[in-house]
Parts: sequence; structure tokens; C-alpha cells
Amino acid sequence: MNCYEHTLITKQDLNEKQAETLINKYESIIKKNSGKVIKVENWGLKNLSHIIKNNKKGIYFHIKLEGMGKTIEELEKAENIDQILIRFLTVKVKKHDLDNKDKDNEKNEF
Amino acid sequence: MKRKKNFKKNKKNYNNSKLSLFQKADIKFSRSCPLSGKNAPKIDYKNIKLLKKYLSESGRILPSRVTSVSLRKQRELSKSIKRARLLALI
Repeated sequence: MNCYEHTLITKQDLNEKQAETLINKYESIIKKNSGKVIKVENWGLKNLSHIIKNNKKGIYFHIKLEGMGKTIEELEKAENIDQILIRFLTVKVKKHDLDNKDKDNEKNEF
Repeated sequence: MKRKKNFKKNKKNYNNSKLSLFQKADIKFSRSCPLSGKNAPKIDYKNIKLLKKYLSESGRILPSRVTSVSLRKQRELSKSIKRARLLALI
């Protein structure tokens, strides 16, 4: 099992309910393909530093998961089709750091 | 006449002295890498505050000869900057 960090950017016109269903959908895909969701973070609405596909703002979601290479393959296959998503990124990490340090850093930015 | 002789002597001395364009500086600038060491901050694509220190005003990556980051850390840094760019964080 490998550790991955996955970040999604969705379009800004998204309800809370829609966001929940979206995340649940991808969580179920991960779980189906022998994966395990450890943590889901909602970074909220942010300004994009440059325009992507005519979008100026986006809602960020950050998922920390464990899984095989196949898990990521299936996850990204589903995301490529999805039109609500602007962009996504998967990063392989050696170990998940589940401290609250990241939150403090975010607070300092704004 | 005496003056002339003195002048010649001075000139010789000047040529023998070590002043030249390609001369090495007596004082060495030994700046250590700010990102390696025990209490160094961890390079991560989510830590935008740190990454912004190593970008120019126009958003280009600064060379390591300016920032004196070690080669290994510079490689890590550039990779995480590019990840942050992809996510439109920087």
C-alpha cells in the first residue's frame, strides 16, 4: 500500500449538498478499488492565481488516501470525464503528516 | 633623476602586488543552505508562504546561486513550486 495526497479543484458554483455527493462519489471509487480514505479536507473557495478554463475561482478539496497504483488509475479515469472539476493533482508521499500544522499555515496566509 | 628612479621602483612594486581582476577574495562568503539542517522548514507544495520566498516578483524560480540553497534542496523546491503552479496556488 502506498500513501497518496490528492487535490481537487471544482467549479465555484457548487452547493454544499453537491459537494458532499461529489466527494462521496470519489470516496466510493477509492474504496471499490482496494483503497482507503484517511482524511478529507475542505480548503474552501479560493482565488485561482491564473485563469483556468475560464474560471477565476475554485473550491479546493484535499484527500489523503492509501492505495495501490490501480486505485489512482481508476480515480483519475473517472475524474477526467467529470465536467465539474477544473483540475486535480495526485502526489505520492512516504508518510502522511496528520498534524494541525497545515491549518496554522493557512490561517497565516490570509 | 632621483624622482624618476623612485617612480620606476614604485611601478615594479605595483606589478608585483596581487591586485588583479581574477584575484580571489580574501574573505570567503560561506552562507549555508537555509533549507537543510535540523530546524529547517519542510518543503511542500502546500506551504505557499515558504515557496514565495524563492520566487521573483514575476513568479519565476530564483537561481540557487542567489538564494544559496543546496543542489538537492533546489531540486525539491523547483518540483514543489511546479506542483503549486499546477494547482494555481502561486
